[in-house]
Amino acid sequence: MFENISLFQTAGAMAQHAAARQAVTTRNIANADTPGFRAQTLAAFADTYRADDGGAMRATRPGHMHAAAMIAAARPEFSDGEPSPNGNSVSLEQEMVAAVENQREHDRALAIYKHGLSVLRTALGR
Amino acid sequence: MTDFSDALSVAASGMKAQATRLRHVSENIANTDTPGYHRKTVSFAEEVARGERSGAVAVGPLHLDQTALPQIYDPSNPLADENGNYLGSNVNLLVEIADAREAQRSYEANLKMFDQVRQMSSALMELLRK
Repeated sequence: MFENISLFQTAGAMAQHAAARQAVTTRNIANADTPGFRAQTLAAFADTYRADDGGAMRATRPGHMHAAAMIAAARPEFSDGEPSPNGNSVSLEQEMVAAVENQREHDRALAIYKHGLSVLRTALGR
Repeated sequence: MTDFSDALSVAASGMKAQATRLRHVSENIANTDTPGYHRKTVSFAEEVARGERSGAVAVGPLHLDQTALPQIYDPSNPLADENGNYLGSNVNLLVEIADAREAQRSYEANLKMFDQVRQMSSALMELLRK
């Protein structure tokens, strides 16, 4: 029963997406001085979520994999800025903004999840 | 969860690479007055593990700057030739300091990312604690 509450699924997928995006951002920052490295990014959660709505298969039984599972598979794409002379297109400033965005997204997802849990707990009378 | 541990190790590799760079910069600065010293430079490359790009940074082979060494006129120097010249080092202090500052900036960016990822994963752990 509980695993079908879409609130938890959405919040979980959002946290997962934020973590995946943060990993991409970290990779960009670590390679800020690597010649020829191209900056990458993942599509925003809202876009992936909406994209999954249409074409995704419907889950009609508890055993089915949900759309949330597909979000983790989002492919990183290149987000080229103006490359520096050595071919590196990472902008530290842009990555800094992305990192904060990711952290906020993750915090928001966890807050929603936590809140959902406390509602459930209240319903159980604990 | 693997995203977090990946991110942590990538950030750590970035810090390690910048620290290596900083070490070579300080070697260069220390040898500014060493006759015949060529300045060392490092190059970074994306690490390839098991045939696929891991995203971590690897420090490439060390290179010696092949710019011509300057002739310094100092007849009292034991290394001076018959004209009173000897070869100095091709270290330019200004370049080294700029390089050091850049390495520091990148190191700090990586450190910040490390801390941020750690905060995110500990927030996740906090969910289990209640």
